[in-house]
Amino acid sequence: MSKLSRRGFLVGASASTGALVGASAGAMVGASLATDAASSAAQTAVLAKSEPYVGVHQNGIELELQTFTNFVALEIKNSTDKNAMLRWMSLIAGDIARLTQGDPVIADAQPQLALGPARLTVTVGFGPNLFSKLGLEGKRPASLKELPAFKVDGLKAEFSGGDVLLHVSADDPIVLSHAVRRLIADSTEFASVRWSQQGFSNAQGVTPNGVSQRNLMGQVDGTDNPALGSEDFANTVWIEDGPDWIRGGTLMVFRRIAMHLNTWDKLGRQAKEEVIGRKLDNGAPLGGHSERDVPDFNAVGPSGLKVIPEFAHIRRASPQAPGQRFFRRPFNYEVGVAADGTPDVGLLWTAYQRDIEKQYLPVQRRLDQFDLLSQWTTPVGSAVFAIPAGVAEGEIIGAKLFS
Amino acid sequence: MNNKIVKTLSAIAVMVAAVSGCSNAPAGLEITDGWVRVSEFSDHKGGMTGAFATITNNTDKDVTLVGGSSEIAGMTEIHEVLMLDGEMKMQAKEGGIVIPAGESVTLEPGGLHVMLMGLKTALLGGEEVTINLDFEGAKDMTVTWPAKTSLAGDEEYKPAE
Repeated sequence: MSKLSRRGFLVGASASTGALVGASAGAMVGASLATDAASSAAQTAVLAKSEPYVGVHQNGIELELQTFTNFVALEIKNSTDKNAMLRWMSLIAGDIARLTQGDPVIADAQPQLALGPARLTVTVGFGPNLFSKLGLEGKRPASLKELPAFKVDGLKAEFSGGDVLLHVSADDPIVLSHAVRRLIADSTEFASVRWSQQGFSNAQGVTPNGVSQRNLMGQVDGTDNPALGSEDFANTVWIEDGPDWIRGGTLMVFRRIAMHLNTWDKLGRQAKEEVIGRKLDNGAPLGGHSERDVPDFNAVGPSGLKVIPEFAHIRRASPQAPGQRFFRRPFNYEVGVAADGTPDVGLLWTAYQRDIEKQYLPVQRRLDQFDLLSQWTTPVGSAVFAIPAGVAEGEIIGAKLFS
Repeated sequence: MNNKIVKTLSAIAVMVAAVSGCSNAPAGLEITDGWVRVSEFSDHKGGMTGAFATITNNTDKDVTLVGGSSEIAGMTEIHEVLMLDGEMKMQAKEGGIVIPAGESVTLEPGGLHVMLMGLKTALLGGEEVTINLDFEGAKDMTVTWPAKTSLAGDEEYKPAE
């Protein structure tokens, strides 16, 4: 590759500058070559990064956000029984093994599009209805149930529910599109697609690792998450007991949350900060200085009012008892703009935890009672999935559940 | 360049995995990316389907895939697809498929393939299909390939006359 660009540069240089080629021009060529090599390495670095597909846990959860995502929920056909689930999952496991390493799947109709790994991950989940359809109620984790109705909800069926989830993410949209196409092609014998929802985060290199990204309301989103790789993360997310197929797995809550930016944008900066309880410029809690500062919910301002108002989102969402925490991994979505300029935007919001009843629901119930932020947000999609444990090489996802 | 290395390494890994999966693999003959097609032609007893793979001949002699057999099919033939009278037709490949020394031949939908006819039951996606491949110039091989749905490969069968 560097040979090619060298030749290209020299030809270009001699054609345009003719007799001017001398010692200084030679030095420029050298510097330019080094820049070329560095920039072409940087260009392909995003594509070359791969994520493992084997391990104690499934991939796609305990890692920095990829840039592009697609959540695909499927409903099994009446003919799909436990044996069919095993056959389906064996095809999916084979696809994941290849796609995550940047290789085409077997019988790939577009092998040319397997450009590289691009940190592709595929996370497989099973919805509560799958357990009843297959007569597996006895193996269903107790807290894996459709969420209760909340008064803030404006749920639509086309964004909600599903028997099987294929959550696919990558740092390149073509790599992602190809992978999703192949996974769905290997699924239609067993299931039909109920919905698919696409989202995005920042491009790679825009936000340093470990820094919380911003959502489309402008807020820093994801502060107070358990740190990746930490004991806190493991204790919050990864299940250690219960049926063997879920040990090493987790439970996921999916919410499509629409943002009403036209009304949100009417608020001034101070009002926006009080609604959320954080400063917009750096995500610091009100009364604090930096994003990681612990919010002081008791602090009172000169006016005698709480610095972080009673209605502030972070107050309502903060754990009121030990264990009321989960890991959030929200992507943004943007689908289009209405004639009046209202954008269809929001979050593909996910929470991962050991127990939905103990960890997510107390927080969501509190937010449902009162959270000023809900004036500018509406949950329009909702689903829950059990994410089975990770697999060893050649192992079928969920084998212990369906065998 | 890094990507090329990654690609090569993963290709080797796939080959190693495929070879180690066949305990009776003769030295020098490698079969990778094998699969059997699931389609509306294979979803019933008596149906038929094609099997595909890449066969690499690392020996210094030509090797010929002359035939095969499988417990799932009444008859197994080596087929080619030809344009006949303006239509794609498949027929038995006379003399089998030659894999020249040091070269690879890919069996794929719309081209060379192993034809499984008279299926004993419907073929289901994700099933493992065991096929015995008969070679001239190399030891016969037994392979186990996954059955997968593919939209490509609908050719009309032209039985031998």
